[in-house]
Amino acid sequence: MAIATAGHIGVASHHDHIHPEPQSFIGKYIFSIDAKVIGIQYMVVGLLFFIVSGLLAEIVRAQLLTPTGAIVSNDTYNGVYSLHASGMIWMTIIPLVTGGFGNYVMPLMLGQRDVAFPWLNLVAFWMFPVAGVLLFGSFLVGAPDAGWTEYPPISLQGPPGTSLWCVAIFLVGISSSLTGINFLVTIFKMRAPGMTFTRMPLFVWAQMATAMLNMIATTALAAALAALFLERQFDIPFYDPGRGGSPVLWQHMFWFYSHPAVYIMILPAFGIVSEVFATFSRKPIFGYKMIAFSSIAIALLGFMVWAHHMFTSGMAPWLQLPFMILTMVVAVPTGVKIFSWLATLWGGKIEFHPAMLFSLGFLIVFTFGGITGVFLSSVPADLYFHGTYFVVAHIHYVLFGGSIFGIYAGVYYWWPKMTGRMMSYKLGVAHFWATFVAFNITFLPMHWVGLQGMPRRVAQYRPEFQFWNDVESIGSFILAGSTLIFLYAIAESMLKGKKAPANPWGARTLEWQVSSPPPYYNFKKIPAVLTNPYDFGEPLPYVGLVRDASNPEHPSTGRASSGTPAHA
Amino acid sequence: MAQHTAPQQKVDLGPGFWPVTIGLSIFNLIASYFIATTDLATYLPAAAAPAGEIDGLIKFMAVFGNAIFVYVTGFIIYFAIVWRRRASDAPDSIGIQVHDSPKLEIWWTAVPLVLMIALGVLSVKVWANLQSQSGDVLTMESIGHQFKYEFRYPKLKNSIYDEMHVPVGTPVALHVTSADVIHSFWVPQIRVKYDMVPGLVQTIRFTPNKTGTYPVICTEFCGTNHSNMAAKMVIDTPRDFNTWLTKQAQIQASGGGPVALTGGNAATGATLFSAKCASCHNANGGYEAKIVGPGLGKLASDPTHPMLVTGEKPDAAGISHILINGYQGPDKSQGKEGPSAGAMPNKAANALSNTDISNLTAYLLSLSAKKS
Repeated sequence: MAIATAGHIGVASHHDHIHPEPQSFIGKYIFSIDAKVIGIQYMVVGLLFFIVSGLLAEIVRAQLLTPTGAIVSNDTYNGVYSLHASGMIWMTIIPLVTGGFGNYVMPLMLGQRDVAFPWLNLVAFWMFPVAGVLLFGSFLVGAPDAGWTEYPPISLQGPPGTSLWCVAIFLVGISSSLTGINFLVTIFKMRAPGMTFTRMPLFVWAQMATAMLNMIATTALAAALAALFLERQFDIPFYDPGRGGSPVLWQHMFWFYSHPAVYIMILPAFGIVSEVFATFSRKPIFGYKMIAFSSIAIALLGFMVWAHHMFTSGMAPWLQLPFMILTMVVAVPTGVKIFSWLATLWGGKIEFHPAMLFSLGFLIVFTFGGITGVFLSSVPADLYFHGTYFVVAHIHYVLFGGSIFGIYAGVYYWWPKMTGRMMSYKLGVAHFWATFVAFNITFLPMHWVGLQGMPRRVAQYRPEFQFWNDVESIGSFILAGSTLIFLYAIAESMLKGKKAPANPWGARTLEWQVSSPPPYYNFKKIPAVLTNPYDFGEPLPYVGLVRDASNPEHPSTGRASSGTPAHA
Repeated sequence: MAQHTAPQQKVDLGPGFWPVTIGLSIFNLIASYFIATTDLATYLPAAAAPAGEIDGLIKFMAVFGNAIFVYVTGFIIYFAIVWRRRASDAPDSIGIQVHDSPKLEIWWTAVPLVLMIALGVLSVKVWANLQSQSGDVLTMESIGHQFKYEFRYPKLKNSIYDEMHVPVGTPVALHVTSADVIHSFWVPQIRVKYDMVPGLVQTIRFTPNKTGTYPVICTEFCGTNHSNMAAKMVIDTPRDFNTWLTKQAQIQASGGGPVALTGGNAATGATLFSAKCASCHNANGGYEAKIVGPGLGKLASDPTHPMLVTGEKPDAAGISHILINGYQGPDKSQGKEGPSAGAMPNKAANALSNTDISNLTAYLLSLSAKKS
């Protein structure tokens, strides 16, 4: 890092200067303003909360092994599944896909040294672990027990932890909103010269759509949470029907955020698999513009469909129809993406790297989850499915099969870039197959028990559902085991992973054109961009990249010889 | 951009493309045939009118959903095999550099759009049928409570709990609402459900078409004992229904109807307690002060036993339920299933009148009020 101090010399040109790298441990790793460090901080904390939330899910599945479910009391069980969902959604998936991958990868892809507001980024990050501690700490005072949706009036009666839940989600919501603003400004104002919108990598397009959602939708949630908190702590009636409030008001405000939140969680995963499909098929992504614009279309439509979560909740029946039709329309841009990825595979040189396996697995299970989503959009059918295990199955197909598979793909894809070390190819493959099989064993039968009449959020159930519930529980225990493979692979790579070259996969986006891990300043000189990044076989479309021994130019057409994954 | 668009030429789709496509199509045709001809009610029993239409809608979605899933998955697997990187490939070999195909993209935008329009039209049709009823409609109400269902019939003076009856063949308009938190009224055999929202009345319309006893299930989380909130819906022949209704009216007329939950006399209850209950229950200590049954001195104010042994809330309704029905079964007073709670005799065995139960309930609640 000898260059770090040399940065001061460049101060004269205020457009293009490099700040010195902080040298203290705290400045470098704790309160860093470097988006790469903040990205890794998000990933580490997110992984921690992922493990906690996952263990909570295992308690749920252990309880449901028997119809009488006597492992924990009803109240504990209700707290456990509420925090499982809250933890997975707000403390794991959203921070990982936006704060984690967004911070690390996006500025690099844009040819920039950092995001637009590094200090804001620092503040936004630190709200997240605080919120997580508050959320899981609520166990100490009585965990919130009304599910992650916390519908009043039951949430008004909930234990004291429910108020902590409000504060925690409020905080993490503000954090996402700030990150949204930060990313949006970064994408609009800080692209490398020549990088027009249609030359941006698709991951950046996905982050742009996500940032819009994060910035706007989260405010509705903040208002709803503030009102719930005020009603609980200071008895100001917003939701109490006995005093002129409305429980349905909460649902409208909650879903006005939480439906877009579904896209906040899935769009970045779309971005990740788009990068992975291109790189490991060695092909330009098929229908670049359609994939890019469909992200924006999904984001816009995402604001107009929230009440499809509320078909049974109490609204004028005619109002169900526009929400139903608009929800069905979402299937069209989503279908465009799925078919475009499929066409990207055609004619490729497909390499079954773990990142690619997870992306292919994503495509299969997400398509399935998308189809059950269409089932749920039709009002008469939803009046049947609503509130049953069918919905639980659907949400896990899109959030686990979609977002978490996407996150796994992203970790395997960018791990060498982030850590400078290779990850075991074999462990990754084992992790994928164990996860893919166990995932389907766990969640597929849920569709069926739901149709047969098993409601969600129950600690006991009718004995006829026991067989499939046992299958699901056993699947979930294997799923937990598969996560251990992942953790072992991480540990092994950190302890004795081979050093990673700058571009082990022969990818063409900008983050692969600097050393692994990238230097503090990302790019010594900001490169210029000539065309879109996916034309394999053409020379790289960048001018002004500073190359050295750690970052040699590689044959842009194929794999770099040093990164042959087959034997890694 | 322009230099990438190759001159129009026949594209080689790769080995086996058409056989695979035809194979998947044949599979889909057969699967569609089976889905379309299967009566869903074989697997998911139905007992009321909207079920058939909703099942039809589900089958329609299953046919095209299955087709899309099979094509997508089939092509993923086929492409992954045919277009995989082979050991013989040069390290810098690349895929076929195509960027897009407007024709293809129009197709795969248009086809889902058409399918969605078809689904939309079908759904609106079924939806419209859900809103309307004709003929002689039985209008009744159900009110959700933590954790039981209350039913009201126009011909009955008082409410009845836990079991509703409807006659086969008569359209039912069931108005649902809640007395406390949000519940839901769902009979899987009717398919349609609506939430029971406090301050709001929604209507479930159905026409029973098969006699039998069906579960009423709460699908909206409503508290500690949500899992066990259930009732029965009995679909009777019109004759049986009338018999049942007449009997209920008689029971209510003879004072055998529901117990008054308020207005009991605690002092009278205290006398009755020492005569009939004190041999098994301690009126001074908390739950742990057992004689035969648990101590009742802190029945409604014991933080370590927040529920009654039935799992119900320790309010007038819950207490009177035990006095009416007695209780044998697991002890759920700690919010989960514990060991057996012993055997509490019912109203008949204790020779209690409705007034007795009101008075006893008032007395038992007054004990907790004093202590807290």
